[in-house]
Amino acid sequence: MIALATFRLAAYVRSHRVYQAFLLALAMLAIIHGNRAPRGAEASVLTDGAILLIPILAWAARSLLDTEPDRQREMSAIQVGGRAREVAAGLLAAFAACAAFSGLGLALALLLGVTGTPPSGVLGAALVLHVLAALAGTALGALTSRVILPSPAVSIMLLLLGFLAMLLISASPLYWLTVPLIAWMKAANAGELLGQAPQLAAISLAWCVAGLVAYVWLRRGR
Amino acid sequence: MRPDIYRYSTMRLTNVSFRYRRRDPFVIEDADAHLAPGDVIELTGVNGAGKSTLLRLLAGLSSPTTGTIDDRPAIVGFAPDRFPADQPFTVTAYLRHMSRVRGQARWEPWAERLNMGHLLNTPLSDLSKGSAHKVGLVQALMADPGLLILDEPFAGLDTDTRATLPSIATEVAAKGGIVIASDHQGGLRDLSGLRHWTVLDGHLKESTTRPALRNPAETPAPQTVTVAVTVPADELPDFLARMRGEGYPAAEIEETG
Repeated sequence: MIALATFRLAAYVRSHRVYQAFLLALAMLAIIHGNRAPRGAEASVLTDGAILLIPILAWAARSLLDTEPDRQREMSAIQVGGRAREVAAGLLAAFAACAAFSGLGLALALLLGVTGTPPSGVLGAALVLHVLAALAGTALGALTSRVILPSPAVSIMLLLLGFLAMLLISASPLYWLTVPLIAWMKAANAGELLGQAPQLAAISLAWCVAGLVAYVWLRRGR
Repeated sequence: MRPDIYRYSTMRLTNVSFRYRRRDPFVIEDADAHLAPGDVIELTGVNGAGKSTLLRLLAGLSSPTTGTIDDRPAIVGFAPDRFPADQPFTVTAYLRHMSRVRGQARWEPWAERLNMGHLLNTPLSDLSKGSAHKVGLVQALMADPGLLILDEPFAGLDTDTRATLPSIATEVAAKGGIVIASDHQGGLRDLSGLRHWTVLDGHLKESTTRPALRNPAETPAPQTVTVAVTVPADELPDFLARMRGEGYPAAEIEETG
């Protein structure tokens, strides 16, 4: 399974599709961190960066999963010993790509976005949030990949609408009905990131897992 | 030590039916069959009869709508009719990746055997149809499959490789593997013990006689000649019987003193 995930990552890089998400991520991070935030705003800077990266991470995951031709995906499933392993290898490769972009976002935020060194607690919460952002991007990208949505137009539209829906729902009192993106940002702005992080992380993780389970379920027989 | 042929058990299809969606007509209906270790099976049928669907079921890529497929060998090799060459790898890089997926299976001997030495550094996207088809064959063969599925394996291949493929099928079968090939071109028909399956309107049938090739233009009828043989008159009945027994339409044409 690791070998198949490596194959898919290699295809993603060698096809140069990786540069689409890479350049877009760089542009967005340059805008977000163009002006170094004042001391004391570290939590907001790190949180906002992670949340705004999610659609780019989803695009990266979708792009990686779509690199492999459909026939090759079938051959890979046979080679690796079954559909379940092929699906798992695809998700693993997509998460690895998202984690790399998310790590880049965190590194640039720490290097260019903040004035002082963030407290260790805030840094830990930001690290967890960046991992969750990678998971959310993986789930959203997988659910809008070609094997689930064959039409590229519908797929990219649903990817963006999915992200917008997450933003809108998480801005409402029913924020727990989705990955609570706005709730994370509000908590960071209010200086309550550390206090609310466990609850928000649990809700985020639950929805990411639900998204991944939905993808696995939809891949039955595909 | 047990010979290789005992490594695998007989694979069985029991009342297998398949349709792509609910309310769609069945593509495969009530297929019953067994595939024993060492079998080489030729699968024929008109376009759209359900051959590729049956191969996907055998490979485990699709599950039967009803019925069961039991005792599929653990290692399956599948060579598609059209290899997906739109991938950003050279032949060597691709086969190395596939080898790692297969647990470091040796692909080099197969590449050599299929005359691919000059293609190894070629990008997959630059390969001709036949060359890409060879890559598909190598990735299917490299892991010593217990079930080898070949979808139109002779399409686009050069003469040397066409001649090599039947012996490869025989070797896989001799090691206890099952070989099944969807083939319109009759490339395996010279193999002894070849089983013939036909998919007709979704129904799988096994015939004991060799089916005629569908396209007579692909295999022109053998040229015939008429020869005259002079035999003693008292031996004529035996001679004619012997020739007819061997399948020749022998007939007496004249009697000479």
